[in-house]
Parts: sequence; C-alpha cells; structure tokens
Amino acid sequence: MLFWILVSCLTALLAVALLAPLLRRPATAGGEHSHDVEVYRDQMAEVDRDAAAGLISSEEADYARAEIGRRLLSSADKASKETDGAQAAQRRSRHPLAQAFIILILPAIGIGLYLLTGNPGAPDAPLAARLANPGNDVSLLLAKAENHLIQNPDDGAGWDLVAPIYLRNRRPGDAANAYRQAIRIRGESVERLGGLGEAIVMSNQGLVNSEATDAFRKALSLDRNDARSEFYLAYALEQEGRSMEALAAFQALAKSSAPDAPWQPLVAQHIANLQKGTSEAKPGQGPANPDAPGNPTAADIAAAQDMSAGDRQQMIQNMVAGLSEKLKANPNNFEGWMRLVRSYAMLKQADKAGEALESALKTFPADSQQGKQLVALAAQFGIKAPEAKP
Amino acid sequence: MTRKQKRLAIISGGVGFIVVAVFLVMFAFSQSVSYFYVPGDLAKADVKPGTRIRLGGLVKTGSWVRGEGTTSTFEVTDTLSTVKVTYTGILPDLFREGQGVVAEGAFVAGSPVFVADTVLAKHDETYMPKDVADRLKAQGVELSGKEKIK
Amino acid sequence: MIIEFGLYALVLSLATAIVLSVLPAVGAWRGDANLMAVAPVAALGQFVLVTISFGVLMHAHLVSDFSVANVWQNSHSLIPTLYKVSGVWGNHEGSMMLWLFILSLFSALVALFGGNLPASLKANVLAVQGWISAAFILFIVLTSNPFLRIFPPPPEGRDLNPVLQDVGLAIHPPLLYLGYVGFSVCFSFAVAALMEGRIDAAWARWVRPWALAAWTFLTAGIAMGSYWAYYELGWGGWWFWDPVENASFMPWLAGTALLHSALVMEKREALKIWTVLLAILTFSLSLLGTFLVRSGVLTSVHAFASDPSRGVFILAILVIFIGGALTLFALRAGSLTAGGLFAPVSREGALVLNNLILTVSTATVLIGTLYPMALESLTGEKISVGAPFFNLTFGLLMLPLLLAVPFGPLLAWKRADLLGAAQRLFFAVAAGFVIAIAIWYFENGGPVLAVLGIALAFYLMVGALTDLWFRGGFGKVPFSTALRRLAGLPRSAIGTAFAHFGLGVSVLGIIAVSAFQTENVVEMKPGQTVEAGGYVLKFEGMKRGQGPNFTEDRGTFSLTKAGVSVGQISSSKRVYMARQMPTTEAGIRTFGLSQFYVALGDLMPDGGIVVRVWWKPFIICIWFGALIMMAGGFISLSDRRLRVGAPARRAKKVAAPALEAAE
Repeated sequence: MLFWILVSCLTALLAVALLAPLLRRPATAGGEHSHDVEVYRDQMAEVDRDAAAGLISSEEADYARAEIGRRLLSSADKASKETDGAQAAQRRSRHPLAQAFIILILPAIGIGLYLLTGNPGAPDAPLAARLANPGNDVSLLLAKAENHLIQNPDDGAGWDLVAPIYLRNRRPGDAANAYRQAIRIRGESVERLGGLGEAIVMSNQGLVNSEATDAFRKALSLDRNDARSEFYLAYALEQEGRSMEALAAFQALAKSSAPDAPWQPLVAQHIANLQKGTSEAKPGQGPANPDAPGNPTAADIAAAQDMSAGDRQQMIQNMVAGLSEKLKANPNNFEGWMRLVRSYAMLKQADKAGEALESALKTFPADSQQGKQLVALAAQFGIKAPEAKP
Repeated sequence: MTRKQKRLAIISGGVGFIVVAVFLVMFAFSQSVSYFYVPGDLAKADVKPGTRIRLGGLVKTGSWVRGEGTTSTFEVTDTLSTVKVTYTGILPDLFREGQGVVAEGAFVAGSPVFVADTVLAKHDETYMPKDVADRLKAQGVELSGKEKIK
Repeated sequence: MIIEFGLYALVLSLATAIVLSVLPAVGAWRGDANLMAVAPVAALGQFVLVTISFGVLMHAHLVSDFSVANVWQNSHSLIPTLYKVSGVWGNHEGSMMLWLFILSLFSALVALFGGNLPASLKANVLAVQGWISAAFILFIVLTSNPFLRIFPPPPEGRDLNPVLQDVGLAIHPPLLYLGYVGFSVCFSFAVAALMEGRIDAAWARWVRPWALAAWTFLTAGIAMGSYWAYYELGWGGWWFWDPVENASFMPWLAGTALLHSALVMEKREALKIWTVLLAILTFSLSLLGTFLVRSGVLTSVHAFASDPSRGVFILAILVIFIGGALTLFALRAGSLTAGGLFAPVSREGALVLNNLILTVSTATVLIGTLYPMALESLTGEKISVGAPFFNLTFGLLMLPLLLAVPFGPLLAWKRADLLGAAQRLFFAVAAGFVIAIAIWYFENGGPVLAVLGIALAFYLMVGALTDLWFRGGFGKVPFSTALRRLAGLPRSAIGTAFAHFGLGVSVLGIIAVSAFQTENVVEMKPGQTVEAGGYVLKFEGMKRGQGPNFTEDRGTFSLTKAGVSVGQISSSKRVYMARQMPTTEAGIRTFGLSQFYVALGDLMPDGGIVVRVWWKPFIICIWFGALIMMAGGFISLSDRRLRVGAPARRAKKVAAPALEAAE
C-alpha cells in the first residue's frame, strides 16, 4: 500500500512540475538572434585584444573585424525584427492539448509498463536481514556456514558439517573441497575419505577415477568393512572392463553385507549385469566412455538404491530413450552410438538396436573406422548391419 | 592562385590521401589477416607452412605436457581430429584441459606440429571464445556451461 | 519495496523522456515559449528519476539483495564495498543504466547551463536528448531490466567477474561513458540546428564546450582503460586493437576532428556542413560502439552476456538515429551557405588536413573492426584482423598528422606563411633529434627508426612550447612582459599547447616501449635470478595467502640494480572462490617514467614457477601524455569565451534586445 502511495506521490509531483511551465503567464520569448549578437560581439572584442597584444597583424585584424562585423550586423538586424514579431505572437492559450498529454502519458506509461515488467508488492530481501532471520531455509543456513568458513577456513567441524550437505545437494565440487579441508584439519576418517571419493565420482559424471579409488582404498585401510568403498572399487573395476574381477568384488560385497542392507538390490543388479555381460559379450570391448551421455551418474545410482526392480528397469529404459533422443538431435557422437547399440542389445531389443545401428551408420559410414567398430559391436550381439551403403 | 585552383588543390590533395589510405588498407589486409580454423578444417583447407592462422578447439584431456623450461605441448581437438601444438611462454590463467582455446601461430614446414606464439583461453560462463563455440556447436559438440549454484 | 520503486522511477522516466521529446520540439516549431519552457523541467525531472532508479540499483548491490537477479548474478556478499558499488556497472544491465544515467546527466547539464543558448535551440537540443533517452530507457526496460526479481531469493550471489574486481572498474567505465555519451549533446546540437536550418559561427561556439568536455572525459576513460588492461590482464600490453577498444577509440578520433573543425567554423564560418556531419558521425560511432559491445556481436571481457533480442533492439536504435540524422542532414545540407575563404596554407588549411587524416584514420579502424564481421556474415569465413593491420595502416596514416601538429597553431588564419612557421619550428626539430640521439645512446642502441620516432615525439613537445614562446614574445620583449603576456593568453591557446604537448609525451612512451622494452620468460626456483633492463630480479619464494574472497599464491621477488637493492616486487596467482576462477595479479614497480613488470605463470611440478618479466622504459609517458591532454581539455574548457551569454551576463541582456537592435 505504502508503495502505491509513494508511486502516486511521485507521479503527481512530476505532473505538477511539468505542467507548471504551461500554466505560467506566456513568457516573452527572448530573441533568437540576440544570443548570436552576444557571441559576435565577444569575437570582436577578442580580435581587438589579439591585435593590441600583437598576436595578429593590424591587417589581419581588419579583415577579421570586417568579417565578424558582417555577421554581427545581419544577426542584429534579424534580432530586431524578431523582438517585434515575438511580442505579437505571445497570445497563446493555456495549452489544453499539452496538458492532457502530460496528465495522460505519465500514469499510462508509468503504471502500464510497470505492471508489465515489475513485481508489485514484492518485498526487498537484503542479505543481512535474511541471515538474521533465516527460518528453516537450508540453503541460506548453508550460505551462512559458507561465509563463516571463508573467514575461518581452519574450522574443521564446520567443513565436516557442510560437506555431506553439499553432496546431498549435488554440488560435488564444493563437497570434494569441503571433505579435503576437513581431512586437512581433522585428519582422515572413513566417512571423510568415502565422502571425498563419492564427491569425485559425482563430479566426474559417475566415473570412478584413480583419485577416487585412492580415497576409497584409504578408507578401506581404515575400516576393512566399509561397504561404500567396496562398492565403488568394484564399480571401478567394472568401468575398466575387468568384468570378472568386478563380479568377484560385488559378490564378496553382497556376502559380507547384511542381507537387508539397503545397497543389496543395487549390488545384485550389478552382479546380474556382469554375469550377463561376461557370458554374452566377449571381453576386451574396452572401457565404456563414462563421459558419454546416458552413463548412469552417481546420483542415478543413488536413486536406483531406493527403487524396486520394475522401477529400475523403467529408469534404465528412460536413460536409454534419453540417449536416443540426444543422439537424434546431435548425431555426431560416436561413443554415444556405441552405448546406444550396446544398451538396446543388452535390453534384448534387437530391432531397436538395428535401427540405432542404421542411424549411426548415416553419420559414420560403414567403411569408416568408427563405422567398422559399430558393425563389429553389433555383430557381437548378433545384430546384422542393414544394407551397407556405398 | 584563383579560388578554383585553391579548391582543386585541396580536393586533389584529399583524394590523393584517401587513395593512399585505400591502398595501404588493402596491402595490410593481404599481409596481416589470419584465418580461423578448427582441426577438422585443416584437412580440407590447404594451409601452407608459415601462414599465420588461428587454431581453435578444445584442449584434449590428458594431452597437456609441460616440456623443458617454459615450453608446453598440448593437443587441440574438435573431437573428430586433433592437432598437436607447441607453445613457449606463459599459458593464460584459464587454460585447462577439456576447455576451449585459440592458438595463434603457424605450421613449420615438414612437421604436423602447430607452433603457437599466442594462446588465448578466456572463457567462463560469461566469456568464451565465440569462434570456438560456434564451430564446435556446428560440429555437434555440446559445451557444458557450468552452473555453479542452483 | 525499494527495489520496485526503483523500477517504477525508471519507467516513469520513460514517460518524462517522451514528454521531453514531444512538447519542446513542437514549441520550438511554433515559437511557443511555454511549451519550450517544459524542456528544462522535463530534462531535470528525467535526471532525478533516473538517479533514483540508479541509486536503488546501487542500494540493492550494497545490501546484497539477491532477490534482484542482477545482484545475484554479479555480486557476492563478501566482496569489498568498493566492488559492490562498481559491480553495479560491471554487467550488461547495470552498464546500460550507467549509460542512461550519464545521458540524463548531460541533458540536465544542458538544461542548467544552456542559458546562453537561444530558447528554440535549447528546446530542440533537449528534445533530441529526450528521443535518445526514450529509446534507451525502452531498451533497458524491455530487454535488459536490471530489476528482475527471483523468489525465493538465492542464498548467495555468483560473484563479480574476478577480472573486474579492481579499482579500475570504479573509474574506467564512468569516465569512458562521460565521453561516449557526452557526444550525444553534440549530436543533439547538430540535429537541432538542422531542424531549425540555422547553422552559423555562433552555433559552433555553443557546441564546442560540450565537444571539449566529452573529448576530455573520453581521453581520460580510454587512457584509464588502457592502464587497467595493462596491469590487470598480466599480458604486459597496453593496447590490443581489440574491437572493443576500437569502439571507444573511433569516437575519440572523430571527436578530435570535431573539436578542430568546430574551431574553423566558429572563427571563419567555413566547414559548416562538415562540422555538422562530424557531430552526427561522432555520436554515431559511440552508438555503434555500444551496439558492438552490448549486442554480443563481439566477444571480449566487455561483452558480459549476449542475447539476440538486445542486438536487434540496439541495431534498430542505431539505424533510426543515424539514418534519421543523416537523412535530415541530406535534406538540409544543400541549403547551407558556404563560409569564409581561405588559402590551402593557413590555419584553416592545417585544420582541414587534421580533419582529413583523422577521419580517414577513423575509417581505417572502422574497416579493420567491421571487416571480419562482414566477411563472416557474408561468406562464413572467420578471420581475425589483429594489431599488425592497425599498426601498419593507422601508424602510417597518423605520421603526416604528427608532423603537421606543431605547424597548426603557428599558422595565421586565412593565409599563412609556411616558411616562417618552419623557421620557428627549426629549434623544435633540432632539439628533437639531439634528445633522441641522447636517449638512443643511453638505452644502448636499438633500432635506428626509434631515433626518428623519439625525435618526432620531442619535436611535438618542443613544437607545442614554441607556440607559447612566440605568442608570449619571449626573446623579443623583456622576459617579465612576455610572462605577463603568456598569462594573459586565452585559456584555449594554453589548452591547445597542453594537448599537443601531451600528444608528444604519449608518442614518446609508445615509441620508447616498442623499441627498447626487454622481455624474459623463464622458469625460476627460489634463489634464482633473471635480468631485464639492467635490473636483476631474484625470486625469494612463494607464500600462500588469503583475501576476503580469494586465495592466492604470492611470489616475492627482490630487485637490485648494479648490486644495490632497489626494492621488492610481488606478483600473485589468485583463485576467486565463488567462481573458482584464477587470475594473475602482476607485480609492477615504477622507476621514474619506466616500469618493471612481473607476471607469474604456472607452477612447475618440481617447485619452480614460470615467470615473465618486462622492462618497460618510458611506459608511464603513454598515460601521462593522456593526462596532460586531459588537463589541456579542462584548461580550454575554463575559457571564459565558451560561456558567452552565460546566465550571469544574461540578466543584462534580457533588457538589452532593443538596445542591440538599435546598433
């Protein structure tokens, strides 16, 4: 309400200021040319000064005086005519049109355009006030903690506090940094090392790289039964294509964990996949490119933990469909096609795998290096390449 | 001089100066303009050794090697083909593997290595070499804009 | 609520600008004094509203109100207060607000100090300013609204681009915009004069202070930007012929030409058509620069973000204003009468030469800047036109101008004695060569061309003083008389001498740095040394440090000359936390007019670090010269004659028309 009062006051004030010159008694228009006369007189005086100071010769001064004098005369002449005319012209109305224009356009544009672009009633939100009264806004509390940590970077407890929050909020880079700081200050622990490893995996789109495996190994050296580290190390083996070893590692994990541990279904799924893979696909396919779109990220894996088998199947289907869409929009992605063909083959959708292969070969002709690889991959799963185009 | 002659002198002087300027511009264009390529273009375009060009692309992950002293080598890729680049000097702050880069320099005769004398890598959410972005987009490479805070 | 009020003030300023656009122009056309009297009120009202709006935006940045998208994107609660303020214009929306604020400021200044102008001219000038304002406010509100809100507000901002976290951002853009936008007044004067069809010597006198003010600020802004790039980017260069630099340099060149041609027009009523055209072109180049930088056509540190709709909008503004003004010009130019005659060798002739060279050079820079874009849009080929192109073309074209500069003020109006002027300048030429050879010897050789270049620089400086020497009559009259005469010279003559002297100083810096600078890139470990320019730099070691919003690795170096310690230098690599963006802070130490410059490179695995060191002799001269030029501008601006008919004198004049008419 106060806002609208202020708005009206400002608008009214402006209108009054703009209307005032119109309502005043008709001002006498100063002669247009009398201003010129002033300038030329000054020029004349300057020539005199320069001549007196000896800066210009008397001959030059005379020329200049003559020239300026001509301008001065013509302007003075016009100025005198003007003043006569100006007196006569000053019988004007009070400008009803102009008044209406001002009175209409100020609110019309002001209010109209404001309502179009503004957020009437939106409150201010200066940070200090929000921090003083954060309520239960987690992100704000996190920001508060961040500011505290930037000023007190050696507060290990603070880093320990924020690190898992970052991880949950899918800010793996910040999480990894927080875990590292916590490790620096308070030393290594299973929780910190495991968290660090997970953060690194997440920031690499699911790839368990050597940095991550180092962290998990260290965690395992502190606690031989840390399931999270075991899981990721096994997953690393799977990504490297060492299927047999990965299978063994997953099976060991399944055995050592309690039968109702929340990660059992996920482990079981990996075991199932690996058993299928090792029996059907020949080894030596090379590692999957973890950067390729469609690879499950750590977050997807986390999501899969809570899913039933049917949901999980659905998730995989969705991921494959998403990959297919991406490739349709953007076919120049060899790794992506390789994944797609393999995925359909694994899902036992031979027709779709064939279609995918056909589309892939449009971008990567069968006689090209990539094309040959695609055909070879499909052949492994018993999928025939469509008519090879010349 | 008569009034006409004076005017003629001024105008012809002016025109003469403009003509000189035009020739200078054309000469300078022929000497000092460099074309922009991504690695994939190099096979098609015949770039002679010694011709200054600008080579743009992504720095291939894992290809950056610091050599002796201040010389580094890295590979520029458009994901289809790659070109090896050597550069002596300080790489820009924002030079990173997997990120966009523009290298200015020339090929040396008889070698497939691009010798850069300038390397530009100014980019972040709000600033990335447009030449590189355009070309890579045209070739279907997605550039991941990093969203720091949701 | 405060935020929303800021937006409302901005929108209302649009309505005011529209009133300003329409009523005074109608008033001037019908000779209606009341309608014309609306102009100053509306201009001041618009200025107040824009100031409120700009102030609100600044307030939002100061209190870190992240419900404002602009603040969230470009600020952080932890950056120092100075950067919170300067961060207001460190982004697209905010910089357009600064643009508008300064445009409104100039309109208000015309309203306040335009008392010496005829009423109809003043009304028309303000109306044209109103058109420009209206177009840009509309642009801001529709495509670049700085008051967009986010709810719920994000917890923390995304930080100001670390490259911009520097005092430079607080100084460079406001100065540059004061220049850039200041030329809008000249444009408005030109369009107003064309509308009235009355263009005479008096008009030139009235437009000159505005051109001079804009030019002075633009000089300062460009110099400041150059120095900022020099120390902030860590590349050791001070001018890159980057399209954005060119965008500010072109209006400066055209504006310099305008200053000189307006002089001819004021004194001799010659070059009328040309001067009006230049006034239009100068601001057109400012608009073009704004378009290039703001539309995302260019990529550079200045292009904050690109959005095609903005580009199209600015392009439309560009086409309407430039096209409209040039059409009006074409319609009216024929009716302008030719002015005074002059011989090719005369002050006018020299100024025509100045204009010819400056405009051709501007055109060269324009071609070099636009050609790559034109080629890309026509053929899809991407080329880059870099420094070699500009150095070759611009450098060579400017040469005759630099040679001619000292002649100009020595030549008489109308018809002059070239030989006499040359004789007077003989000392300047001789002095130039003597000093140049001395410097060459002192710097231990270097390219012979450098001698010629430095001789040119000192010839410019001594030449500027020569003018004052002869005007004072030193050597002819007693010394004290000459001094008194010097003090009594018109301020604009002294300003000219300053500006020309400053030009010489800048040329000296440019030539000396190009010819004598030494550069070394080495890998260093603590204890190792490297030599440049006779100084020995020893690497002391690295230290970790912590700033308010960054962490840094600071390398400390000690500097000795001939075994004597002359001080410490430190350079650091910073990582700004919010964006995880690294920057290099160069270490610079000034010795007299020269500088020692250290920039850190990458840390090597073996504990060493790549270090780049430069010895840059006389580099300070480049910006010091610009400062002297700027001082010249201000001295000239203080000339009483530029305010003839100013309010103080007007009181007398109001009663005087009849008297004058009787004359």
